[in-house]
Amino acid sequence: MTRIYEELFIVKPDAPDEEVDQYVEQLRGQLTSLGATVDKVDKWGKRKLAYKVDKYREGTYVLFQFTAGAEIVKELERRLRVSDLVLKFLTVRIDQTLKRLEKRKKARDKRAARRAVNAPAAAAPGAPAGPAAPAEASVGMPGMPKES
Amino acid sequence: MAEFKGKPGSAGQRPTGGDKAVATQKKQYFRRKKVCRFCVEKIDDINYKDVKTLHSFVAERGKIVPRRISGVCAPHQRRLTDAIKKARNIALLPFAAQL
Repeated sequence: MTRIYEELFIVKPDAPDEEVDQYVEQLRGQLTSLGATVDKVDKWGKRKLAYKVDKYREGTYVLFQFTAGAEIVKELERRLRVSDLVLKFLTVRIDQTLKRLEKRKKARDKRAARRAVNAPAAAAPGAPAGPAAPAEASVGMPGMPKES
Repeated sequence: MAEFKGKPGSAGQRPTGGDKAVATQKKQYFRRKKVCRFCVEKIDDINYKDVKTLHSFVAERGKIVPRRISGVCAPHQRRLTDAIKKARNIALLPFAAQL
């Protein structure tokens, strides 16, 4: 059972850039050798942390997106935990979210398309809005003389 | 967020800016109708990485702003709290901010 996951982790800020790059490459290699497919690697760069973590006030954020099974995630988390470079990490399963978003987007596009089709049609034969307004007016007109 | 303009004397033509007016005999409240920002702006994805958006739903002290104040609808508030809690875990948002 393969799923899509997102792994966001914080690397110590005092680690040199090359070391971080090397570590990221190493992780990517390990993931692929375990049988996962790495879809995306994104380095956010240095950011201030919202609170102190191990006496650090800032950290380098790295984001992985990969497709793998549960055992691989377990192994990856173990490695992150063992590593001296990593301060904190968060694994999020995102395949369900992605699916839901896609569905929402599709529904939205469909609705937009229908509206685009309807709008010119309504303008030409005067479909929904056209007859409604005159009908109301004709109802109102006979009422007026009765009252007066 | 709710604005109370309740001087009895000045009940007349005051530009309220709100679209819903609840008027009682003595006092007059003009309350702006709150709408869910995620519904209005059609934001489907409330992501924990999107700190900018999340930040506007976190109070000064780092607490999650309740629905009755922010006006977010229930389904979106559920996703929002989820996102905020995830963001807290990875130090994007504070658990408790110092003043």
